[in-house]
Amino acid sequence: MAVRSLVSVVDDDQSVRESLPDLLREFGFEAKAFASAEEFLASGYVDQTRCLILDIAMPGMSGQDLQQELTRRRQKIPIVFITATGDETVRPLVLERGAVECLFKPFSEAALLGALNAALHVA
Amino acid sequence: MTTGFEGITTASDLIDILDTIEVPVVAVRRDFLIACFNKAAADVLGLSASDVGRPCRTISVLAGLPRLEQQCSQVIADGVECRADFRDGDRWFVVRISPSTTGDRQISGTVLTFTNVTAFRASTDQAIYEREFTKSILNTVADPLVVVSPDLRIQSGNRAFYTTFGVSRDETQGVPLDEVGNGAFALRTLRAQFEEMLAGSHAFQPVEVEHVFPGKGQRTLILDAHPLSVPGHSKSRVLVTFQDITARKQAEAAKDLRSEEELRRSEAFLAEGQRLSVTGTFSWKVATDEITWSEQLYRIYEFEIGVPVTLELIRTRVHPEDVSLLEKMKMVDQARGGGEAFEWQYRLLMPDHSIKYMHAIAHAIRARDGQLEYIAAVQDVTVRRISEEALTRARTELAHVARATTLGTLTASIAHEVNQPLSGIITNASTCLRMLDADPPNVDGARETVRRTIRDGNRASDVITRLRALFGRKSTTTESMDLNEATREVIALSLSELQGSGVILRADLGDDLPLVTGDRVQLQQVILNLLRNATDAMNGVDDHPKELVIRTERDNDDGVCLSVQDAGVGFAPEDIDQMFDAFYTTKSGGMGIGLSVSRSIIERHRGRLWATRNNGPGATFAFFIPCAPEGDRRSADTEPEHAMGNR
Repeated sequence: MAVRSLVSVVDDDQSVRESLPDLLREFGFEAKAFASAEEFLASGYVDQTRCLILDIAMPGMSGQDLQQELTRRRQKIPIVFITATGDETVRPLVLERGAVECLFKPFSEAALLGALNAALHVA
Repeated sequence: MTTGFEGITTASDLIDILDTIEVPVVAVRRDFLIACFNKAAADVLGLSASDVGRPCRTISVLAGLPRLEQQCSQVIADGVECRADFRDGDRWFVVRISPSTTGDRQISGTVLTFTNVTAFRASTDQAIYEREFTKSILNTVADPLVVVSPDLRIQSGNRAFYTTFGVSRDETQGVPLDEVGNGAFALRTLRAQFEEMLAGSHAFQPVEVEHVFPGKGQRTLILDAHPLSVPGHSKSRVLVTFQDITARKQAEAAKDLRSEEELRRSEAFLAEGQRLSVTGTFSWKVATDEITWSEQLYRIYEFEIGVPVTLELIRTRVHPEDVSLLEKMKMVDQARGGGEAFEWQYRLLMPDHSIKYMHAIAHAIRARDGQLEYIAAVQDVTVRRISEEALTRARTELAHVARATTLGTLTASIAHEVNQPLSGIITNASTCLRMLDADPPNVDGARETVRRTIRDGNRASDVITRLRALFGRKSTTTESMDLNEATREVIALSLSELQGSGVILRADLGDDLPLVTGDRVQLQQVILNLLRNATDAMNGVDDHPKELVIRTERDNDDGVCLSVQDAGVGFAPEDIDQMFDAFYTTKSGGMGIGLSVSRSIIERHRGRLWATRNNGPGATFAFFIPCAPEGDRRSADTEPEHAMGNR
């Protein structure tokens, strides 16, 4: 069996950080959770991350700030944004900047799987 | 009588008589020796018995008659008596020197009788003095005075009379008054007036006379006459006075001219002021429909200047929707008994279909004849109105944007708070299913995901609890308040909006309202909401006045009731159930939350909000709130009602 792909989750919300990695592991991925963009950048897992599940609204660096920072560092990690705001206008904005998908919380298992598949296929 | 006078000694009776009279009598012989004298001569002139037989000139008291000897000789020669003045100290006498005859009619000497005229002489002196004094006063009077007889003949005048008319005393003496001064006083009425005055039937009415004087030009004189009657004298005389009022007349004429000039100036001011402020004025006598219209008002109404203005003519200009408003205002004012200033706004519909906005202030006055008259100032506020409307539109749009923005932010915030735990719940549940489906099932993992699901569920529930706290009762501030006052504030805020919509607002606020305890701002929002709804409901009304009645009253001692009655489109009976639901609206621009929010506010005050259909057009929305909601009752009770009531 091949080495499992690492999916990193960056979200300031604790319940997401606890629940989402478990589900990702059930999907068969390796999963790591970080409470902020800064923590993720400092972790040393950036290079290994095959897919980034990224919250948009966070204290400090926002999800979009991290997206820009990774672009600046030429790190081409596929990003799936997740957001709780329900503001539909944000979706075309982030997709235009190269995100694979933008999911609105709460999202279904199927939607998440679809987005992950798309992300890893791109990669 | 002292003896020694020949020829009379025999008449002892005569001697006794002479001694009894108080007038001194002295007899002098032809040779100027004292023949005899009576007792009064001894008493008054101080003659003594030894003086008999002495020459007159040696008698010191007779020194006051230096020519006595000549005078006696004359009397004896002529046989005719003469008189002489005699002074003895302060006393004045008139001495009568008469011839005395003997029995054979031969003149034997003279008899001197001394009549004391001291008192008479003093009063004569006084009279002369008074006359001269009066004369000098009269001569200093600048106005001509003349005394005339009843037949108008001049008797005497003062100096001013002669100099003023350029005549002399001599040439006017006895001349009729109407013949002097070139006949200036030849007035037909003058003689008639004199006769009436002297008959005592009428007082003399002063006459104004124009007279051209040589060298002085035309003067205006007031001729007056006063009867001069002396007690005991039947013969009347008349004092005629002349007062030169030329200077006064000229001053008056100048003043008239000046006030005319001032009037012209202030009229010009007024007209210019009216033009600059685009304000016209008119007055309207109700009984006669007589209308006075200022020039500026002609310009505003675009009537041809000078055209007689009638109510009919005015009605052709007033916007059809506002005609009833004008009538209504008049009725309201009359109901109040007039006298108070009132104002209203209306529109003019010009022949070119443009609209002018008018602001009028009027009040009724009672003219002297008791007739009702309206005085009004009418200002063309079109320009101001247009900018105000633009401002109001901008403000409304801004308020709408602000409301939408606030609501959007609030919605996003709520959504975020709720979506986070929901997201956790769904993810956990998905994981749980997968763990249980595994072979063998990962029961411990599943248990952990269920535990997290419960936690997230509680978290979502907490969000709702927090929202309740945020918008719940705890955020309101309660105070003891006067609902009338709160209502009046709302009316004041809405008045221009109401008038702008052509709404006639009648406030019927009860004067015995108890205080209520509540959130003033929230209750005012409810009142404002009801007023706005009522105004909006009457938007399309044009067949009857847009009348809105706001009423407050005490309700059964335990609360107050406020109602807002409109004459608008009303509502269908089947709508009444949904009307208070959130997001239910019949208005194109409305959000449909006003009534539902209003109802929740009223319910939070332990009150009720309801709607009823009117018998006539429109609907009435009303709310009731108890005086002191539970929990605040104690504080409300401790605050005396009259402390804040009826302000």
